[in-house]
Amino acid sequence: METHHFHFKTRRHNYPQVVCANHRVTTSKSNVNPSVLRLHNYGNPTADLAKERAVSADETKRPSTGKFGRFGGKFVPETLISCLEQLEVVFHQVLQDPEFQEELSTALNDYVGRETPLYYAERLTAHYKAQNMGRGPDIYIKREDLAHCGAHKMNNALAQAMIAKRMGLTAVVAATGAGQHGVATASACAKLGLSCTIFMSAADMEKQPSNVDLMTLLGAKVEPVRPTAGSFKDATSDSIRDWTEKLGEVYYLAGTAVGPHPCPTMVREFQSVIGRETRRQAAEKWGGTPDAVVACVGSGSNALGIFHEFVRDPTVRLIGVEAAGFGLNTGKHAATLAAGEVGVYHGAMSYLLQDEEGQITCPHSVGVGMEYPGVAPELSFLKETGRMEFYSASDEEAVEAYRRVARLEGILPALEASHAFAYLEKLCPTMPDGAKIIISCSGRGEKDTETVFNYPIS
Amino acid sequence: MAIRAAATSAPTARSSSALSLPPPISSSSSYSSAQLSFGRAKSTTRPRTTVGCAISCTMTREAAAVTSTEKDDSDPALWSRPDSFGRFGKFGGKYVPETLMYALTELESAFNSVKNDPDFQASKLCISAVKAELGGILKDYVGRETPLYFAERLTDHYRRPNGEGPHIYLKREDLNHTGAHKINNAIGQVLLAKRLGKKRIIAETGAGQHGVATATVCARFGLECIIYMGAQDMERQSLNVFRMRLLGAEVRGVHSGTATLKDATSEAIRDWVTNVESTHYILGSVAGPHPYPMMVREFHKVIGEETRRQAMEKWGGKPDILVACVGGGSNAMGLFEDFVKDKDVRLIGVEAAGLGLDSGKHAATLTKGEVGVLHGAMSYLLQDDDGQIIEPHSISAGLDYPGVGPEHSFLKEKGRAEYYCVTDEEALEAFKRVSRLEGIIPALETSHALAYLEKLCPTLPDKTKVVLNCSGRGDKDVQTAIKYLKV
Repeated sequence: METHHFHFKTRRHNYPQVVCANHRVTTSKSNVNPSVLRLHNYGNPTADLAKERAVSADETKRPSTGKFGRFGGKFVPETLISCLEQLEVVFHQVLQDPEFQEELSTALNDYVGRETPLYYAERLTAHYKAQNMGRGPDIYIKREDLAHCGAHKMNNALAQAMIAKRMGLTAVVAATGAGQHGVATASACAKLGLSCTIFMSAADMEKQPSNVDLMTLLGAKVEPVRPTAGSFKDATSDSIRDWTEKLGEVYYLAGTAVGPHPCPTMVREFQSVIGRETRRQAAEKWGGTPDAVVACVGSGSNALGIFHEFVRDPTVRLIGVEAAGFGLNTGKHAATLAAGEVGVYHGAMSYLLQDEEGQITCPHSVGVGMEYPGVAPELSFLKETGRMEFYSASDEEAVEAYRRVARLEGILPALEASHAFAYLEKLCPTMPDGAKIIISCSGRGEKDTETVFNYPIS
Repeated sequence: MAIRAAATSAPTARSSSALSLPPPISSSSSYSSAQLSFGRAKSTTRPRTTVGCAISCTMTREAAAVTSTEKDDSDPALWSRPDSFGRFGKFGGKYVPETLMYALTELESAFNSVKNDPDFQASKLCISAVKAELGGILKDYVGRETPLYFAERLTDHYRRPNGEGPHIYLKREDLNHTGAHKINNAIGQVLLAKRLGKKRIIAETGAGQHGVATATVCARFGLECIIYMGAQDMERQSLNVFRMRLLGAEVRGVHSGTATLKDATSEAIRDWVTNVESTHYILGSVAGPHPYPMMVREFHKVIGEETRRQAMEKWGGKPDILVACVGGGSNAMGLFEDFVKDKDVRLIGVEAAGLGLDSGKHAATLTKGEVGVLHGAMSYLLQDDDGQIIEPHSISAGLDYPGVGPEHSFLKEKGRAEYYCVTDEEALEAFKRVSRLEGIIPALETSHALAYLEKLCPTLPDKTKVVLNCSGRGDKDVQTAIKYLKV
């Protein structure tokens, strides 16, 4: 598979670098399973993946390690291990429980507004074809912006809130960066009658005050984190700490596919409804599968949600677009897969942005939801197996894309999703005429109008 | 029927009237009350002293039209809504300058030709594989069909101690693209404009919602878009102004009069009169001259049609009661239309009582208004003793309209629909209540309908099916609400 080198350098390691700065690492045997440990994995991605799935299928019968190749795992304090194991058991139970599935399905349809459309972006398609003598790909947008609360976050928040209720817990705690996951969690908790506390960094609260207001209106308590500094990563740390203190009373609702097993798997599973719908809709519309699926990558939940379904289709290119912020060489970005190294963070082994001393860096992006210095372990695995391609887009390119999609399609994409739209500028000229691109519009951008308004025009 | 008076040849700006038309006709000066029965004795229309009115109208056709509808007025299925003159009973019509008559007639014939055109149709839109132009766009772009959601916690909230109570369902128009029902009509009208070969779209907007919806669809279809907005409103809603510009629309500030919605409307109409060949005027609600009330209703009636089907799926029957907020009246007509002929379905519209009906600061047109002509249609409207339009007030911009769609006036007079009103405070409470109970933040407009449930539900027998139109989402109202609720 061709790799592009114009923006970044990939770095490869022979063995995992374990960063112990934030967590005690438990090195019990269950964390290192030789049969799934992959050091270099550049063989046929689908065959290896099939083997991987076969191994983990066996492991569903007992609490598993949650590894994706060498990524993932449960690098957490002892106190959390039994809690995570219990969560995993319940998770597998609900997956098999027809009553739960029906209740979830009804809620996804009637409350969240699924299925979201797969929309043929006529003017955007024409825009790119016009630049290339009338030839170019057909662009379809998966409209997660139309979901209740305006982002894909709701798919996961609702399902997990239902799990919390099933476990008999009455309180939910979550961390949020831009606020989308906080709003979705607050909304789901209101609907299910659960009390809700959201940890959000003080800096983020200033950047997205409208989301704070929304959470408050929905009845949630918003806890500011570290008034002087801090971002999503610190909010996550604080909420995990809170969870550890109140085990058995509160449910920690992970918003994205990071964290210790089973969180990444759970979030991916609940988000994968996006990909399943997409496959069906693509078959209806043109009788086939997409040639490329493009999604923005912050921590990775929307990307995994749409990619997961197509991982086993070798003809479908999976393209993730990260945030290059001010530029990859400025150090002010959030392009974890591009510029990060492997380490353990928030309980999982994955790529992450760290300095020479192993301290986690503070990422930057105009799309606040992209500002996470780590990335889902499953995406790290897809990167390393070469199954997924990843690129990045700068703040400026994202804002330009926001304006372009607004003008051409009357859709305001979230600034996070705008990164994916920005990448179309480079992708479309390389695609053959009539190729099918599906781009995930992971959220709506009304929340970002003020940012775009204030963004200096070059 | 057009009113001929000296003033109509050249519309001039008049600061206190909504259109540069002669002052509204007060009902008793032009019609003898003997010929018009008001259905039932209600205190809603005050006895009027005759206002000096320099208009004379031909009465004969009017009286005949009224008398004929009196004969078969018991069966809603037989009502002409509207008749060939664009009247709903005595309401509606086309009270416009001569220059616009042709445009309206052209618009009506274009609409009638596409209404039955299978390539254009919306009604079967989401169940079958949609090839129909409008249906396809409504499904893939707007996100229809919108769900009919059983509001469990809201239902529990209204459950009486003995366990009985109505079942409350929300029709989720808040999930549409742009967050309100408005886009159904905007899309339909833009497609119609394209069919007519118009390249230029104009609209007026108050707070900006209709402007944003119009700018959105113009961006989608690549049409030139000009939005007229009062200069005062532009200052208060600068983010919406920016949004419209991002979407490629030109926003023109109107400085005349009070620089608010009614002045923007005058300016828009003036533009249309001047550019009628190239331009289509997207009216945002079921108000205005014929054919707009009918057209806008037709584009929104997909709401009620879906509801019928979804109700059948969910509980094998029809709704017992439909509730919707009423500003101009489009979301209500959209929900009601398919059920008007079902006499066993109660239709309830909820208007804005603002600071209270006695304060004079409200927008409760059907409760406190009188019949007159506004924006080209005869309907109930809020006017003072001199026939000047009263500036309405509501905490929600969308209900802040001094008139109401003529069809609502008709339904009220026929007794087919009931209309109540709710104060700002009650609406804010409902806004908070539904946010906390269902995790849905409703628009302040919608909150008026939700507030009325407090009075309605205790009166309903067990298991009554209530469907409420959740006409928009409340993200836009968060700042206002927080300020007032001090949350």
